[in-house]
Amino acid sequence: MKKVFNFLRSMRFGIILLVLIAACSIVGTVIPQGREIAWYAQTYRSFHGYILLLRLNRVFESWYFIALLVLLCLNLSLCSILRIRSVVKAAKGDTERAAKTPDTVHLTPEGTEKLREYLTDMHCRAESVGEATVWRRHSFGRYGTFITHLSILLTVIFGALALYSPTVTDRDCMPGESIFMDDGTEIHVHDFRMADDTGRLDYQSHVQITLPDGRRSEIAELKVNHPFSFGPWKLFQQTFGTAGSVTVTDLENGGSDDFLLTEQSYLSADGKSGILYDTLYPDFIRDPGGEVTLITITQGSYPHPIYQAETFSDGVFTPVLAEPGDELTVNNLRFRFNAPVDYPGIRIKHVSRLWNGALVAAFTLMIAGLYITFFYEPVLVKTDREGYAVLGPKPERMRIELGEELKEYESEK
Amino acid sequence: MKALFFIALVLYGVAVILEFTGTAFKKDKLLKGAWYVFLAAFAVHTVFLVVRGIVAKRLPLSNQFEFANAFAWGVALMLIVMRRKLRTDWLSVVAMPAALLVMTYAALQPMEIRDLMPALRSAWFGVHIGSAVLSYAAFVIAGCIALRYLLAVRKGNADKKALDQMDYLSYRMVAFGFLFLTVVILSGAIWAEQAWSAFWTWDPKEVWALITWIIYAVYLHLRLRSRRKGTFMAWYLVIAVPVVFFTFAGVNTFMHGLHTYG
Repeated sequence: MKKVFNFLRSMRFGIILLVLIAACSIVGTVIPQGREIAWYAQTYRSFHGYILLLRLNRVFESWYFIALLVLLCLNLSLCSILRIRSVVKAAKGDTERAAKTPDTVHLTPEGTEKLREYLTDMHCRAESVGEATVWRRHSFGRYGTFITHLSILLTVIFGALALYSPTVTDRDCMPGESIFMDDGTEIHVHDFRMADDTGRLDYQSHVQITLPDGRRSEIAELKVNHPFSFGPWKLFQQTFGTAGSVTVTDLENGGSDDFLLTEQSYLSADGKSGILYDTLYPDFIRDPGGEVTLITITQGSYPHPIYQAETFSDGVFTPVLAEPGDELTVNNLRFRFNAPVDYPGIRIKHVSRLWNGALVAAFTLMIAGLYITFFYEPVLVKTDREGYAVLGPKPERMRIELGEELKEYESEK
Repeated sequence: MKALFFIALVLYGVAVILEFTGTAFKKDKLLKGAWYVFLAAFAVHTVFLVVRGIVAKRLPLSNQFEFANAFAWGVALMLIVMRRKLRTDWLSVVAMPAALLVMTYAALQPMEIRDLMPALRSAWFGVHIGSAVLSYAAFVIAGCIALRYLLAVRKGNADKKALDQMDYLSYRMVAFGFLFLTVVILSGAIWAEQAWSAFWTWDPKEVWALITWIIYAVYLHLRLRSRRKGTFMAWYLVIAVPVVFFTFAGVNTFMHGLHTYG
């Protein structure tokens, strides 16, 4: 049992886990993730069965990958908790232990003087124990690896919570309309545009959130990289779309309605006549003979939009193309095709600020831990009249520096 | 402006040729000349970066060309700092070609200046990508030191103290690079949450940054805890460099994801 425990907390086990996580991650980037099963069957043919069996199509959600992460957490917990005990224990009484350590480098009397000067210049604190002097600096540095390992553990835990606890919904919303969430929260989109004040491409909405208890946010600007939070909700400018806009006027009574259309729709008053809206094309080319070639793909913009529709009257469908500003009359209805309307696709996230905050705190701790580990190395040097010994958890740097500095003063005992 | 880039590229090339020739024939004057040409190349390269940043009205770090360009500059800067501060003249013969290699890769990329796409207009842009430049450059320099270590061991003419210093220096460069790679990953996670709503999306670039992080984390553990040093660790660092290059260039070339900016 003790052997198993020692293995679970060992660095060897930690390295094995890291290597396995890296190997799974490589597979997860080489084999495209989360595609349709038919895609794997077509691409990998006879191998696709193995891919599905081993969950290589969803490596990062597979039981074995999650098990590796859980084991890594276990390894980090055990080694962190046990390490802090030994680090604190080692820190206690290290002055006495250092004072008793024999010199590893012997110096001439001039050399020992140079050594004292060097250590004083380094702002090391000196403490006399008998005939020896123990010099120390950056004592807190010995806790660097503990802080780092603890922060990695917290990052994995809070990261999992921050990643998997929120509910995320993607919704399109026409400007001037609202999205209603299940709990009664209303998200109102005032407007949307695809350029910033200087005319650069950007995606900006103005939104307002009203919570079920009646609390209402300010009208906030929502754009890429600038999410908007209110209550438990966080909104992100995710995508955009362009909708056809048609105004229908009833010529008999003068009433009219505006319609924003994103899919095939039949606009009619009596169901017997009207227009069938097909789609909106972003661009077209009209040749000298009047023939129109429709352009289906542009880089997201609609430089010369054109509507494709069909009028329906007396049981006959007649295809038509209409530019913004054109009007069609079918029986008593007049259809006016307006300029298309851009609308935002908003990602709505129900977040726990606690987990997000804890995760960012763990990130900060990790940076601090690594800085302390690598750049705040503890110094512990014992000197006496004959030479010195470099001690502490990380003696390498000091050994090299002192070796370089004092090489001409080294002597045989 | 492109002329500045190509002048720097040619000067780096000349410096490498002089350095190789000087090393092969043990001519100090050639080595000195190589160093001055390299410094000149670096100066022109710096001017190019500044001018590009002024023209683009942003940090010149947004696409493959600009990143590679800054990456090469980072390698050159670290070599210069190390030679000045630590008198590591022996590093030039391997680090100069590394800078030239990255510059050559940059030269093969589209160079036009484009407006930043909305997702990249963030305060995290400089922190995230600037840290990546420093981190990758440090790993490449660590690999160069390791390669020099292996060459010295093969020749059999270096004393133990010099080898120990090389070994320690490569470890320090890894420590520096590792800290900055951690900043890259963590700042990227915070930025991703703001831009794409999730701290982590298992995007290929994210995953390969994590793989690189794991590779260097294993190195640090082997070295710190097992007290492994010398030839084994030097080979480890040399072999790790292609992974860094793959994370930087390979992922954008062979894999599609959220980090595909051109």
